[in-house]
Amino acid sequence: MEESKSRKAGRPVPSEAAVEGLVSLDRRRFLEASGFALFLSALGGCSRAPTRTVLSSPSGDEGAVAGLARYYASTCGGCPAGCGVLVKTRDGRPIKLEGNPDHALSQGGLCAVGQAEVLGLYDSQRLRKPVLDGQAVDWTRIDERVRRELAAAKSANRSAVLLTGTIHSPTTRAAIAALLARAPNARHVMYDPLSASAIAVSHEVTHGARTIPRYRFDRAEMIVSLGADFLGTWISPVEYTAGYRTRRIPAGNPPQMSCHVQIESRMSLTGSKADERWAVAPEALGGIVGSLAAALTELAGRKLDGRPAAAPVDDAKVKGLAERLWHARGKSLVVCDTQDVPTQVACNWINDVLEGYGQTLEIAPDSRQRSGDDAALADVLDQIDKGMIGVLVIAGVNPVYDLPNGQKLAERLRSDKAPLVVRLGTHADETAAAAQCVCPESHWLESWGDAEPVAGVLSLCQPTIPRLGSSRSLLECLLAWSHPTTPADFDPAAAAYHAVREHWRKEVFPRRPQEKMKLDALAFWEESLRVGAGALRATAAERKPVDDKLVQLAKLPAAAESDSLSLVLYPKVGLLDGRPADNPWLQELPDPVTKAVWDNYACLSPDTAQRLGVRQDDLVRITAGEASIELPVLIQPGQHDRVVAVALGYGRIGTDRFAQVGPQWIEARPSVGPNGLVGVDAAPLLRLENGLRHYARADVRIEAAGGSRRLATTQQHHSLSVPEHLATPGTEHRPIVQQTTLTAYRHDSHAGAEHHHEFEGQLWPDDHPYTGHRWAMVIDLNQCTGCSACVIACQAENNVPVVGRDEVLRSREMHWMRIDRYFDESRAGVTALHQPMMCQHCANAPCENVCPVLATVHSAEGLNQQVYNRCVGTRYCANNCPYKVRRFNWFEYSRREQLENAALNPDITVRSRGVMEKCSFCVQRIQSTTLAARQRGETLADGAVKTACQQSCPAGAILFGDLNDSKSAVAKAVAADRHFQVLSELNVRPSVSYLRVVRNCEEPSQEPRHV
Amino acid sequence: MNRLTVTMLLVACLGGSLLILTAMALAGVWHLPGNNQGYEPVQPIAFSHHLHAGEMGIQCLYCHHGAEVSRNAGIPAAETCLNCHRFVTGRLALMRKEDEVAQKEKRKPEPVVSAELKKLYDALAVDDKMSPDPQRAKPIEWVRVHDLPDFVFFDHHAHVQAGVTCQQCHGSVETMERVRQESSLSMGWCVNCHREANQKGVNGKRVRASTDCATCHF
Repeated sequence: MEESKSRKAGRPVPSEAAVEGLVSLDRRRFLEASGFALFLSALGGCSRAPTRTVLSSPSGDEGAVAGLARYYASTCGGCPAGCGVLVKTRDGRPIKLEGNPDHALSQGGLCAVGQAEVLGLYDSQRLRKPVLDGQAVDWTRIDERVRRELAAAKSANRSAVLLTGTIHSPTTRAAIAALLARAPNARHVMYDPLSASAIAVSHEVTHGARTIPRYRFDRAEMIVSLGADFLGTWISPVEYTAGYRTRRIPAGNPPQMSCHVQIESRMSLTGSKADERWAVAPEALGGIVGSLAAALTELAGRKLDGRPAAAPVDDAKVKGLAERLWHARGKSLVVCDTQDVPTQVACNWINDVLEGYGQTLEIAPDSRQRSGDDAALADVLDQIDKGMIGVLVIAGVNPVYDLPNGQKLAERLRSDKAPLVVRLGTHADETAAAAQCVCPESHWLESWGDAEPVAGVLSLCQPTIPRLGSSRSLLECLLAWSHPTTPADFDPAAAAYHAVREHWRKEVFPRRPQEKMKLDALAFWEESLRVGAGALRATAAERKPVDDKLVQLAKLPAAAESDSLSLVLYPKVGLLDGRPADNPWLQELPDPVTKAVWDNYACLSPDTAQRLGVRQDDLVRITAGEASIELPVLIQPGQHDRVVAVALGYGRIGTDRFAQVGPQWIEARPSVGPNGLVGVDAAPLLRLENGLRHYARADVRIEAAGGSRRLATTQQHHSLSVPEHLATPGTEHRPIVQQTTLTAYRHDSHAGAEHHHEFEGQLWPDDHPYTGHRWAMVIDLNQCTGCSACVIACQAENNVPVVGRDEVLRSREMHWMRIDRYFDESRAGVTALHQPMMCQHCANAPCENVCPVLATVHSAEGLNQQVYNRCVGTRYCANNCPYKVRRFNWFEYSRREQLENAALNPDITVRSRGVMEKCSFCVQRIQSTTLAARQRGETLADGAVKTACQQSCPAGAILFGDLNDSKSAVAKAVAADRHFQVLSELNVRPSVSYLRVVRNCEEPSQEPRHV
Repeated sequence: MNRLTVTMLLVACLGGSLLILTAMALAGVWHLPGNNQGYEPVQPIAFSHHLHAGEMGIQCLYCHHGAEVSRNAGIPAAETCLNCHRFVTGRLALMRKEDEVAQKEKRKPEPVVSAELKKLYDALAVDDKMSPDPQRAKPIEWVRVHDLPDFVFFDHHAHVQAGVTCQQCHGSVETMERVRQESSLSMGWCVNCHREANQKGVNGKRVRASTDCATCHF
């Protein structure tokens, strides 16, 4: 059609050559075109910007001012650790979560998962309306049906079960108890996708209470962790990090700090931080605990039955460890993450011998953060099989995905013997697909609630936005179902509010602490709501010694003598059990240890990979029992040779949505794998045996599957080291991260410093007098655990886009802040150093003097400013930056999910294509805090300005402040002996500097490797 | 079209645009793209700043109280208008006249509602007792007059605190029937004022008006 038309007009059909001719203009055509352009620009000058309307609210909400942030104290619902948060809201919507410094456990820190929760609130794929038998219905229909089924579940043959994750909310627990009291054959079963059931069972054996102790890392001077990733994913990482950090500063005379020995099979975040790290096979943990216990019998003069299986480590080494623990008794702590009860019992005995109970771990007040019971879960599964359950309400957890036989369970739930399955959840996930009745669960930012993660430590949870769909929280459902009929005017939010308030008036108010005795009930409630957290009067428990007879060393599992590989399934810091899999921020968060994004993989040690004849990215098939999965290989130094480690939480239904994440251009490739999902589900490889779920198993086969899948890892991106053949003479060796040992540090507090040629004088005169403030940051690498909470905090604060797997493979990730990881091999084992790296705000900034349009310039307060509207995208600055911290917008990172845009920070520009961007030292926070102080007529207090990364850091590793104020914490840190700058030999004079790592081990290590 | 016609047309365009540009620049009408100086859009309700801020002498901050504490001066909630317009529903003379007539005819005075205020009452969905119905109330869609690009973050609160009067940027709004953008709001205009303020102070008070890029762009 087109062709015939152009023929009629007597013109040739445009050929490729003709199209090319359009590009190469001759002089005449150029002049014609420029004349036309001038004409257009003249017209442009007459045009107005498009008319924009501005809406005024009809009614004035008292105290609400447009453009002013309001903060509400609440409790994070990202995982059952129950950290305190302050929700920053603007114009009635949450835009950022900050740690609540008044919370006794989290102490102002918040992890990456918590930080990303605000994006989860605005997830467009959250369920909106209840569905019954495939049809959207009203809540009243659901309520009627559930009530009928509950009433029918009176006989033992048709019981009712409420299956949830850990619930430590006192009000919800009370509501469950009230509902169960009305339905005689109903029961409540809790399980955790990441189970710690064996610890609870072992305490039932040794202390007569099925409980998980509260671990006090803040009191522990000698820490031995057997496989427990307590800084990354184990039970309550933010709380433990906050405690752990207090003993990691070498202080006193002579300087003292805690000693941390990690004994584990894979390389965990916690292991990477340890002073000493032993890589052992997972089944060897029992033998090591046994040998430790046996060694302690001699020291403590106690007697245990039997002899432990031989531990596959040097006997002298174990004895030495036992002696160190004994020496620090009362201040030593042994934690163990194994699902083997005899081992945990022996561990309890060790802690008891070491006088740890009441000191470094507490039974009262205990932790409620993982109250799941695997045995009860196994019982429920058994009853489902037998068709003995009439109604099964599943809230929070996702058993079809979490449990080893999820597919079998899904079939059972769909069969005719199946109970009525009521699913209360946020997404159309695996369990929802197997349920007749799917109910949308409210986000915790939309609902009333409370939390008691550790006995006596209470906090409130309050809504900060009107709910986005017709959803309800579990508490609201329970309250509705406890009515005989749903009242016509039933308002779930109001009901939950009254329930929480009433519970606090009756139960919490009478137990309020001494300093709040003067408050009446109303004042106490208002104070609690304002602060968000409170502690109750604690009742100390009596110390009960553990009977020696309970420990049977012979019963401890022995390491199998074989060459076959063991499988370890582990949670990743970003995705945990897979619950936050719908969150693109967390999918694109580089794993702290492997630095991989958007995938899970089979971690193999370098030697094992060589033995199997596979290389990084090669696909391998892992077979365990009947289940088998195919994954790409990731070579992981520091891992035990007989172990293959695979992350849980991947291959979730619903992650197919990420096929289209990132820019969609001609060469774009999807972020999902060949299965159409992000990663592969490893849960079928789990075992549920003898009432315990096991995350490690010995009987696995692994073989090359042929083919490969390139893993997107960020480790080699933005590297600070120069290839040797390109380096100028004298700069081949670039000491980037510095460390020393405690022994050396005691001898010389400057130990570990790198000496290099210092520049004398400057090429040009100093043109920045810094008469006012001079902002600077110091990061204590000894405290930084690499947990990556700061990366997500920065992303949330600064509107950093998600780019997708393909763009990450092209080194185009946009994170303003990255954490460089350096492996460190010494006789104390393979560990790692983590170095947060962001714009260093150099005084002699190399980026500034190459910008042709002055889009990056120095401010009077020492900030290296990036002016987006001036930037023309030459990228000279990024090339000239020695720290490689500048990020270029290769695309207009479309924000297709309109609802997600509600999480954008309105105080920050959303950058467009062709613009360079980088860390701004959170200049918007500096400005608003400075102005607020000026308005109050005060001078700016030290520590008042907190950058987003600093605020979120659970380890308190980041200091920010005014270098011109000699009393500021940052000025003192700069003067400290451990202080160093990265690449200081370049004389760029960075405003960001670091404090050297001090390891409490004897062996000085080689230079850390960036691999 | 043959080649000659095209060339002539283009030359005409070039010449024409140069002429238009020169004429407009001389007349002061032409401005850089994006510069909305002199913009005076019609608003959904013909609210008169001249009457309220000028004749009645109501303080700017009475309605735009955000300017004192926040980045945004804010458009007042429509309920704020009801503080007075609960009672003043039309022109005073007309209301008085109706009162007199009603007294003469010995009946209750009919409510006198001006056409513009009726729009306000409709938006707020007020009842007989002049209390609004929050369920049915709708926001009024005002047309934005002073609109900075999205990469600029102007802070009212900082300027009000430093003692800059509203009129210094917005012109004498109290004399305007309909609000007009008085200043160019261009970056040069901002920076000039900051430089002057650093030298001479604001209304005799010494100030520190930063000219760092990150003062407004981040």
